[in-house]
Amino acid sequence: MGSFKLGAMTLGGLFKKPETIQYPAQTKPMPAGLKGHVVNDVETCILCSICAKRCPTSAIEVDKKGRTWAINRFRCVQCGSCVRECPKQCLTMDPHYASPATQMEPSVFDVPEHEKVQAEV
Amino acid sequence: MTVQTEYLITAIDGIPEMSKKRKAEGWRFVQLMAVNTEEGIDLIYSFMKDGVLQNNKIEHVMKTDVIPSITDDFFAAFVFENEVHDLFGVDIRGIAIDFGGNFYALAQSEPMTIISPAQKAAREKARAAAIAKAERAKKAAAANAAYVMDHPGAKPARKADDGLIKPSTEGFEEKLKGMDPEKVARVRAAMAAKARKAAVANAEFVEGKKSVEEDEKAAKEAALEAKLKDMDPEKAAKVRAAMAAKAAKEAAAAEGNDAKEGE
Amino acid sequence: MGKATVIPFGPQHPVLPEPLHLDLVVEDEKVIEAIPQIGFVHRGLEKLVETRDYNQFIYVAERICGICAFGHSMGYAETVERLMGVEIPTRAEYLRVIWHELSRIHSHILWMGLAADAFGFESLFMHCWRLRERVLDIFEKTTGGRVIFSVVKVGGVVRDIDKLQFNEIKRVLEGIKHDYNQLCKAFLKDTSVKNRTVGVGYISHEDALDLSMVGPFARASSVNNDSRCLGNGGYKFLSDFQPIMDGQGDCYARVKVRALEVLQSIDIIEEMIAKIPEGDIAVPVKGSPADGAESSNVVEQPRGECYYYARGNGSKYLERMRMRTPTSQNLGGMTKVLAGCDLADVNMIVLTIDPCISCTER
Repeated sequence: MGSFKLGAMTLGGLFKKPETIQYPAQTKPMPAGLKGHVVNDVETCILCSICAKRCPTSAIEVDKKGRTWAINRFRCVQCGSCVRECPKQCLTMDPHYASPATQMEPSVFDVPEHEKVQAEV
Repeated sequence: MTVQTEYLITAIDGIPEMSKKRKAEGWRFVQLMAVNTEEGIDLIYSFMKDGVLQNNKIEHVMKTDVIPSITDDFFAAFVFENEVHDLFGVDIRGIAIDFGGNFYALAQSEPMTIISPAQKAAREKARAAAIAKAERAKKAAAANAAYVMDHPGAKPARKADDGLIKPSTEGFEEKLKGMDPEKVARVRAAMAAKARKAAVANAEFVEGKKSVEEDEKAAKEAALEAKLKDMDPEKAAKVRAAMAAKAAKEAAAAEGNDAKEGE
Repeated sequence: MGKATVIPFGPQHPVLPEPLHLDLVVEDEKVIEAIPQIGFVHRGLEKLVETRDYNQFIYVAERICGICAFGHSMGYAETVERLMGVEIPTRAEYLRVIWHELSRIHSHILWMGLAADAFGFESLFMHCWRLRERVLDIFEKTTGGRVIFSVVKVGGVVRDIDKLQFNEIKRVLEGIKHDYNQLCKAFLKDTSVKNRTVGVGYISHEDALDLSMVGPFARASSVNNDSRCLGNGGYKFLSDFQPIMDGQGDCYARVKVRALEVLQSIDIIEEMIAKIPEGDIAVPVKGSPADGAESSNVVEQPRGECYYYARGNGSKYLERMRMRTPTSQNLGGMTKVLAGCDLADVNMIVLTIDPCISCTER
């Protein structure tokens, strides 16, 4: 007999925990290394603009004079190049996805002036 | 064991013969592609048999050249021939299924033959770098020759033709004889650091490719040697020691960097 | 003998996952000739290599295809490594093989779901995609992405998998294997599946050789051109690799080859996890490819052999990057196999070739 080969599996599904979740009510936990969105710790950022140079989509813009660091989340592809290349380790990948927005505007962060650390010899 | 690749050069007239021969020998057609160069378009026909990937290059095809199709032997080539016709404007005649330029829906004709500003800048930069490199090499060679002429006993610092830095010790041993022991020890330490650095550089270095930095270094070294021979011996030794110390420091810094990158 | 009629099929058609257009010349119910046309989604990704440096282009290469994304990034990286003469650490090669075989599992299970959907077996389709979801979860945990991973870089990989994650992968794969064996039974033994696939779209061994076909499409006609056999990259560490072949050459054989390849991939991953050495996962790559240097490479992707070619121009931008995807090679075989089939079988035949038109056009 060649039919109903899938019968056992389909019937078994009746007595198993569902594989899906009730999405808006329940959400999946985000695994630790998930590439959600890039976060900049403005306290340690030195505006060196290496991240902007490495970015394959030119999503990051660094304004040294105006002391701002801006990322266009609609261009960013979460490749993580900037996070890897950052000399101060101030960029991190947050495991939560960026929320939807009504306007395609870059997120701008002001980088405060910080005291110069004594130059190491 | 990996895939073996071969590069052969064929003329336009040789295409039908090449494809017939490959077919008779039982090669499998892999692909046809084009490269837009300054002297015309290069076509590359690839075939494969027993783990050997053979790329047959037809160089400098002009817009006026007529390329015969190989779809009689390898039917699968019709996709690529239409593609090359649409994207590069190569005139290929006799394709089994000829779309006559309507294979790809394109906003402009022959988009792959347009040289973008970025590519143009890259080409110019590469050309300038090549010229500068040649000049540097010439200068370094001249300086080296001058040095060798002045010091008939000294050996050339290193071979110019292979790109690797080879720590040479023979020449230095002679020089070290005349110095005081403390200095000798310092110079030896510096030599060791230099050798280590050279080893690191060699590990990263790829055979057959010359790094610009090294040529620069060679030129610098040669210039320094030329300068040093005019000074009095004591001063020269001091300068040498200082240079060696700098090299050691650089080597340490380079290692530090490597360690950091390895994290 | 009826009058010959031309039926346009696609590019938008419920059974086609990809924008492929076919002009079917039909007499009564028989297709006597089929002319494929693509070209609706050409994106010019090969041209982009001129404005992205060789480290950045890897993210473009990944986006050629959503299913073989990992294969493309790996193939691109291997080609550029050949171009620059970079030797990558052994652990990185192992990790690449593990991820690549995982993507083969997910690609094949996805394709089997689509095939089940095409012959109207909805519950089989659901079960296939349910299993595929578990593979995607592995990707999510180990690479941080579900479809586009961005874990390969020129010179190695950017992420390591630790022991805990390896154990988790092994556990999940065991679960998949258990469920998958039941799915295989449905695919290979169920009469309703056999009715739609056995004897449909036959292509002989000689034709398959003649048309230079690649991938499972060729292996179903017992043409061995599995480039994993060549031992590229991490595949040289496999103790024994025998490609799965079948001599029947019909749709059923193509389903069977893919079905068994999933089990083979699971075995490969288990072997790789058992053998993986400790060590670095990447080497620093400095400098840029030399002017006029060229390299070519082939990688076995889920759909078949993919060819890569790179040429440098002395700057950090490549002069030319070429990817020849498996589908463009199989279009010739597809026209051949469609001639003479029933009109109702066209969708089944097109699906068993697993065309990826977006890859083909790039």
